[in-house]
Amino acid sequence: MSPLHNLSEETLILLLKKKNQQAFSYLYDHYASALFGVICRIVDSSEHAEEVIQDVFVKIWRHIDLFDIEKGRLYTWMINIARNTALDHRKSKAIINEKKNQPLSNIVNREEEQDQSQNEQHTKADFIGFKNILDNLKPEWRILIEMAYYEGYTQQEIAEQLAVPLGTVKTRTRAAFLQLQQLLKEYR
Amino acid sequence: MDIKAYISSGIIESYVLGLASEEEVSILNCIRKNNIEVEQAIAEAEIALEALADSQAMEMPMQLKQNIWDKLNTENLIPNQDIESTKYREVPSDDINEQISIERNKAIVPFKSYRWAIAASLLLAISVGANIFMYQRNGDTQSQLDQQVSLLHKQQSKLAVLQDKWNLVQNPAIKTIPLKGVDNKPDYRALVFWDQASKAVYLSIEHMPVAPKGKQYQLWAMVDGKPVNAGVFPLDANEDIASKMLDIPTAQAFAITLEDEGGKDAPTLSALCVMGSI
Repeated sequence: MSPLHNLSEETLILLLKKKNQQAFSYLYDHYASALFGVICRIVDSSEHAEEVIQDVFVKIWRHIDLFDIEKGRLYTWMINIARNTALDHRKSKAIINEKKNQPLSNIVNREEEQDQSQNEQHTKADFIGFKNILDNLKPEWRILIEMAYYEGYTQQEIAEQLAVPLGTVKTRTRAAFLQLQQLLKEYR
Repeated sequence: MDIKAYISSGIIESYVLGLASEEEVSILNCIRKNNIEVEQAIAEAEIALEALADSQAMEMPMQLKQNIWDKLNTENLIPNQDIESTKYREVPSDDINEQISIERNKAIVPFKSYRWAIAASLLLAISVGANIFMYQRNGDTQSQLDQQVSLLHKQQSKLAVLQDKWNLVQNPAIKTIPLKGVDNKPDYRALVFWDQASKAVYLSIEHMPVAPKGKQYQLWAMVDGKPVNAGVFPLDANEDIASKMLDIPTAQAFAITLEDEGGKDAPTLSALCVMGSI
């Protein structure tokens, strides 16, 4: 374990900018598993997730100078790097494999998919089974967060796929967030 | 812009999920700079996603920490002093704490005060803007209020006048004598309220032109065939008012003439306007 404890965000950023090894250690110990959790929900397999998390740390390390504390939160910034890197990775893999895009059905029928994919190795089903607070969300709200956040759909695409007006996507997004915030409060 | 409506539209949640369009993002970035409520709502939504990530954390495979550190090394991303051993090492905590305190002293303090300065000037700018806005609004509101108050006063005095008149009519001791226009002034009308107990006389001009400049309406009581002065109708009186005139103990009729300002001792019969007998 790192000898550093409870660094303030400011101090951590400062040490990261100095490329300090302890800062790396602290960053890894405190944030890697959460970032890894985000990545695992986006990419196809644990193998890919491991590739991506490494890229993510390199990116954070390389671009920490671009991070501006005035403009945002460090954790959110890192989550966004993890999410975008994972989405990019998935897109590039999807092109290479020319595999069919089937994420929607994955979400809608998770359990079905779980059965189907038992013989398919390295599918997202690998990760199913870990606790998911999103499962407690109202299904029509959950699907929206999953499509947006983990699948990288655009608002327009979501509206089309779910056959609802664009404005409804926004109001449902807010409703989903309000419930999510409540669930997270209970979770803590 | 209605900030509450903007926040509850779901745009902020769309933004933190990466759903907002470029146009929406640029509007949001513009608003958040000047609006602490929006900035706060964004932070709250971000914290929710951070908490979500916490709740969904996955255990990292062993060895990855070392792998990543090695990768940073091979990509030449570690400054020289840390490369001395490419093997991952733990620095004693004293070192790092010392380093942190040094960093704090030389870098964080100016950084912090710089941040405060920005925050302070931002707050000042917002406050100045808000003050100007509120001042202008206050001016508008004040003049509107003044208008309403003067309107209210007008209405109230009108109501008071009508109420006075209504009280007269209601009073059983009061005799109401309608005065009608003479031959050449058929549409003229006035009312005399005559208190039979106190002998007080009140005159209300119901429908007669405003007296021309230099002239004044004068009320006469016809007592046994002779006109008795009952007073002049005040020039500045509200048109609806029932003006108190001179007391008249007995009379058989009342009449109004248009006389020179101040009134006369005897009526000018050619200037007779209205009359009514009891």
